[in-house]
Amino acid sequence: MISKYIDRFSTKERVLHWFVTVTFFSLMLSGLGLYSRLFNGYFSLFGGGSNAILVHKIAGVMFFFSSLILFLHNREKVTEFDQDDQEWIRLRGGYLSTDEVHLNVGKFNPGQKMFAIFIGAATAVLGITGIFIWFPESFPRWIVQISLMLHGLMFVGSIMFVVVHVYLATIGNPGTLEAMLWGRVTRSWARHHHPKWYKETTGDNP
Amino acid sequence: MADTLNQATRKGFLVDTARCIGCRSCQVACKQWNKLDADKTTNQGTFENPRDLTPALYNRIKFVEKETSGEVTWQFVNERCMHCGDAGCMKVCPSPGALYRTKDGVVAFNKEKCISCKYCVSACPFNIPRYDADSKVSKCHLCIDRIGGGITPACAKACPTETLKYGNRSQLIAGAKAAKKTLYGEGDLNGLGVVYALEGPPEQYGLPANPHIPMSIFLWKDVIKPLGILGFWGSIGAMLLHYVTIGPKKIEEHDEEVRHDQ
Repeated sequence: MISKYIDRFSTKERVLHWFVTVTFFSLMLSGLGLYSRLFNGYFSLFGGGSNAILVHKIAGVMFFFSSLILFLHNREKVTEFDQDDQEWIRLRGGYLSTDEVHLNVGKFNPGQKMFAIFIGAATAVLGITGIFIWFPESFPRWIVQISLMLHGLMFVGSIMFVVVHVYLATIGNPGTLEAMLWGRVTRSWARHHHPKWYKETTGDNP
Repeated sequence: MADTLNQATRKGFLVDTARCIGCRSCQVACKQWNKLDADKTTNQGTFENPRDLTPALYNRIKFVEKETSGEVTWQFVNERCMHCGDAGCMKVCPSPGALYRTKDGVVAFNKEKCISCKYCVSACPFNIPRYDADSKVSKCHLCIDRIGGGITPACAKACPTETLKYGNRSQLIAGAKAAKKTLYGEGDLNGLGVVYALEGPPEQYGLPANPHIPMSIFLWKDVIKPLGILGFWGSIGAMLLHYVTIGPKKIEEHDEEVRHDQ
């Protein structure tokens, strides 16, 4: 009997993803108080601003490497856009209407690809500017000043993308979260959301 | 925070550079009152010493050596925290109370509240704050522990030529204007707490002609910060709106059954 499920993410991929997730939110919580005095209350989660900075530095190093590895692991799949992807982009993936659309999507759709590319780039920028902010007296002042601005800007971009990512991967597309929790998705999910990948994986026509 | 600035009662310094003889009594008196250790320096072929502010040097005399038609001239300028009316350090400081404004308009600091982020080092228009060995902010605090009791700050007290004059800022400015002095810092950054009477362009003294909070710091605090908060809640709102209008992409269970029946 054919299994109802097909594998989407390996155990290693899932662990890496959740490692990136935990470090990302640690960075967000420890960094909010540094972003603005409006969020000073978040420092108390860590027992004060100095501790929050310490957590931010440790989580920052862990996020930088894990997020970069995650991006590099998928770099071929997320940086190539084909004809089908252009059609997806033209129709906004069918997300802006209730009409049924049939799009020939591979393992990742162009929205996921753009999210991966943005987070990959943001990881690089946040990491590099983070080093300048960490050691401000070792670099020219203008570099540190621009770094402070870019660090805030990239955080804002990341958190907005993450809001969309969390929505689309949970309540926006029922059945998607399972892929990252247990590694497998249902056949019907794969046929609907990623028909090209379904065909590549199973050999069946979607 | 109550960091309001009363321009009428604000205290400050008038630094009349023409009167300065470069004796550095101000440097020494400051160290003595604030119990700051001496910095070990090396001779670098100039009388200027030390060559830069340090965590243990809140104010110093900068020696501007100029050669005009074979003759060397000296100009002396007192370098210290300017106690800006619109202070870049206070704008970026994430720890309330670490940098704060006193009722006299002074930008003071509290090392116990400093969380060692060093943002003030980058945001200062004059490159003044330094960090001590414990990674805590240090700079001129206009002797808040003296002026609070009505005593003149140590540097001004020690100045033998009245180059450094301490008092009500607007009265000092009025007096200098009456004496037809060219002033620096009267209106910049909502008025500097340290106003200079100069005998030449500010650049000649190593002072920025138009001091301002660095552009990227302004963009961070006044543009990205509010827009970012708006963007965050906007994206959450957009997702909720999507959920209740267009709705999630549900995969109907009957699809599956239909396929198996085929």
